[in-house]
Amino acid sequence: MRVRASAMRATRQRILEATYACVARWGIAKTTVEEAAREAGVSRATVYRTFPGGRDELVDAVVAWATLEFFALLYQEVQGADGLEEVMERGIMFAHRSIVEHEVLQLVMQTEPEKLLPSLTVESNRIRGGIADFLVPYLEERGVVDGVDLVEAADFLARMVLSYMSAPGRWDLDDRAQVAQLVRSELLAGVVAGPDRG
Amino acid sequence: MGNLGASLRVVDAGASPAPTAPADPASQLSPHRERVVDATLVCLARHGTLKTTVDDIARQAGLSRATVYRAFPGGRDDVLAAVVDTEMARLFSALGVRLGEARDLTEALVAGIVEASSRIRGHAALGFLVAHEPEMVLGHLAFDESDRLLATASRFTAPFLARWMSPAEAGRVAEWATRIVLSYAIAPSEYTDLTDPVQATRLVETFVMPGIRALNASGVHPPIDITPFGLGSDLPTGTPSPASRTRGPARSDQDRLASAGPNTDHPEGDRS
Repeated sequence: MRVRASAMRATRQRILEATYACVARWGIAKTTVEEAAREAGVSRATVYRTFPGGRDELVDAVVAWATLEFFALLYQEVQGADGLEEVMERGIMFAHRSIVEHEVLQLVMQTEPEKLLPSLTVESNRIRGGIADFLVPYLEERGVVDGVDLVEAADFLARMVLSYMSAPGRWDLDDRAQVAQLVRSELLAGVVAGPDRG
Repeated sequence: MGNLGASLRVVDAGASPAPTAPADPASQLSPHRERVVDATLVCLARHGTLKTTVDDIARQAGLSRATVYRAFPGGRDDVLAAVVDTEMARLFSALGVRLGEARDLTEALVAGIVEASSRIRGHAALGFLVAHEPEMVLGHLAFDESDRLLATASRFTAPFLARWMSPAEAGRVAEWATRIVLSYAIAPSEYTDLTDPVQATRLVETFVMPGIRALNASGVHPPIDITPFGLGSDLPTGTPSPASRTRGPARSDQDRLASAGPNTDHPEGDRS
């Protein structure tokens, strides 16, 4: 039983990676189940067994998978950071750089933005919740201002982080000094108490 | 789905936040334009863009098709563009009134945030589009288009905030407030309802005012560009001159246009 489950996971992973490669080459619209199956070296039937919803389910799954991959890298990037300020600085800079350099993301945003936009906007609850949950322990360790609700503060910070990731506006997010200033003013000034370590 | 070619264009509204700059000839003078726009808003709230025809608009407006076309020679797309322009202008002029009335910075931020949030939430046509034709709207809320929207909104609101801070800081704070409004409008929060003045005040006092004080206090002042952002192609020169980066005379036309509302030297002066 366990072997089968892990074999299925491996197949699923293989199909997702293959689909991602197809999307990177041709965009979402031109990626078919046939192409994905050929790229993965599996039969169409296997793709349908793994993703019974067919192409639509496959596309949704690959978008979700790529999003998770992005956040996995992001979390890896901020591991070992010394406290809340540094986590946020490194996270924002990494996220900004990754988005700008993310060729598949840029391709999809140009050709089929409707595939990505909901999860970044009206359906951003999951991503936002993930960022907030990640920040909570750092906020706990750092200590929040009296009267500020920790969970609410994490939600506010996650909203702002998403906003800057997607649209830097007047801030140069490649510039460490500016990001440090952003983190200590618009992001954390009302949230944390006392001096930071940075 | 995917018909982004017809996507509503918020961008153009940015170049003319106030209804003072009709670039276009005779059709702009038609007395029926506003009536057509208002009728279109009713149609959009009911059927969205896909099922709204010029006939529907004419019927709703109580005008003939020919009259609608005289006012909008480009037909439906032309009308839709005017709807966006008009609604942006209405939002910004309402914001101008609220921001102009405020007696201090906290009051200005709260008033602006509540006004914008309430108008967005109460906008029936916008609500229909987000629910049924999200691709018409969401594209403006992420990445480059979002940057443009932030720039448009902050360019208009910053001069009002410059009563209490330098233009450069006002630009940052206006952009920040816009981010907050957009975030809570796009994905409502279980903690904070920004259409409620009490809750908006709490958010501003808790998170925003300390941030503004920190912005003020941080000795590090990276060059802050107060020229219109994200509209490079509209500007006379490709890169902003050093003078335009700080408080100074080298302001662009868009900036002058945006600051046409309040006179920052005489805050009580020009409100009507």
